Amino acid sequence: MAAPPDQPGHASAAVPGDTGLAAADLAAEPVPGGESSPLVLLEMIHRLKVRDVMCTDLLTLDRQAPLKRAQELMRANNISGVPIRESGRLYGLVSIDDIIRALEGGYIHEPCGRHMTTHLIVLEDDMPVSFALRYFGRYKYGRFPVLNRGRTLVGIVSQRDINRVLLRELTREVERLERGHKGVNVGLGEGDRLYMLCEYPVVKLDFENAGKAANEIKILLRDRHTDPRVTRRIAVAAYELELNMCVHSNGGTLTFLVSNGRAEVVAKDNGPGMADVEWACRDGTSTANDWIRSLGFGAGMGLPNTKRVSDTFEIRSTPGKGTTVRAGFALQPGTRDGEAPPA
Amino acid sequence: MKINDVARILDGTVCYAGEGPGRPVRHVVASDLMSDVLLVDADDMLLITSLASDQVLRTAQIVGAMGVVVANGKPLPSTMAGIARSLGIPLVTVPLAKYECCVRVHAARAEEQRGGAA
Amino acid sequence: MTLRELAAACQGEIVATPGAAVAVHAAYASDLLSDVMGHAPPESVLITVQNHVNTIAVCTLADIRAVLICHGRGIPDDMLAAARREGVALLRTPLDQFHAACRLAALA
Repeated sequence: MAAPPDQPGHASAAVPGDTGLAAADLAAEPVPGGESSPLVLLEMIHRLKVRDVMCTDLLTLDRQAPLKRAQELMRANNISGVPIRESGRLYGLVSIDDIIRALEGGYIHEPCGRHMTTHLIVLEDDMPVSFALRYFGRYKYGRFPVLNRGRTLVGIVSQRDINRVLLRELTREVERLERGHKGVNVGLGEGDRLYMLCEYPVVKLDFENAGKAANEIKILLRDRHTDPRVTRRIAVAAYELELNMCVHSNGGTLTFLVSNGRAEVVAKDNGPGMADVEWACRDGTSTANDWIRSLGFGAGMGLPNTKRVSDTFEIRSTPGKGTTVRAGFALQPGTRDGEAPPA
Repeated sequence: MKINDVARILDGTVCYAGEGPGRPVRHVVASDLMSDVLLVDADDMLLITSLASDQVLRTAQIVGAMGVVVANGKPLPSTMAGIARSLGIPLVTVPLAKYECCVRVHAARAEEQRGGAA
Repeated sequence: MTLRELAAACQGEIVATPGAAVAVHAAYASDLLSDVMGHAPPESVLITVQNHVNTIAVCTLADIRAVLICHGRGIPDDMLAAARREGVALLRTPLDQFHAACRLAALA
């Protein structure tokens, strides 16, 4: 009997798999419809995982079951494929094509295990939907079985499943926008006079705009003839924090404040929050996965770099809620209280 | 050595030449990890990279690079030229591998220091 | 180029060697693994900062003989183990990719 298909369809470079497709290659492929898709849709397909859209209500058979049984299941339930599963492990798939061949060949009563397709492309349940879409674009199959980390069959996903969930999420998104945004609490100390306050929304995985806020902050500082060395440090901190929020959080706001002789970059995100803040602030530690790395991010340097370039650094996080990072900078040594920083 | 010299030395195409006379190359960084580029404390660097993305230009602006060379003859995303212009970062695309770029730029700078033509 | 020549040229050290003599005939500098897989010449040394186990996997796919880790970056245990297992030589240098590339080029 063939061994269960064990390698995920999205074989990363470290695990040369059935398909030989590296995560990096897939990441480089354009998302079908991606260029013309509205941003919110792109955000969704990056945020949602295969497990959020897959069908978990699985009809499966074991290897001993006759193909006829598979045919009956397909007809009765209007499905086009029956996974062959035993003790949670996926052994193969019987498709309509397999049934047609069995009818023609006169072996419709033989066990599924003997005639099922075993060379399967499977997806992992924590893969982003954007990745899964590339598979639909690349291969002719209409559906893919989904395995979890433990290689147990947990669902099956088709293009239709993805569309259904996107429609639902889009509706929710429209409702959210209509309710309006919440403000950001910037928390100045007593006696602080605020000279400049800029807020920039940061959308999760919005690579088109990632870094734009930091670029603007740099221009603002440069136009005001701020000391170039301080400008650079603030710009680096803003950029690192902005990219961090874009790649690792559910999105949030980047705020830039200038008050008495001080500048502050505040990155406040909407989750997921982290339990071990100290771990996150160490060089090289990152929650990035292979596909984020393939896009050039995720080296794990964001927070440590920010800490290094800032005069003051504060990070607070609540798992499940969100994280706030504040990077502070002295603009000019010896600026008197109440005086505007030199223009 | 200015960005046009770099383009010539590397058989490259200038996608955006920048405004005015342009800044000279004071430092060279060859990297595809933008987080590493942010760590380099040098002004007017020439950034040589295999990564063809908007993020390269945004990083270049943050660190005050004088120009960006994208190696391997990669076709650039259509957004890159516009972003180079809006951020004022000269951008050159070259057919050579990054390794070859390093070798040629290094040789040209050494020549320049010896007093030869740039 | 031999491993010893490579190490000497860039103030580096040999971290792992597969035992049999390793000869390298070309060099490739990149930190993007998909780019390495697509363009690195065979029998080459890869100049990179990507100090993780995936780099070794890419080397086996692209017939890269040695990896030169730049910027004095450390070699994690799993990367070292993979290099030993796959017979890929591993070197480290304190230099950055640009300067390492230039030193290696001077050798050839």
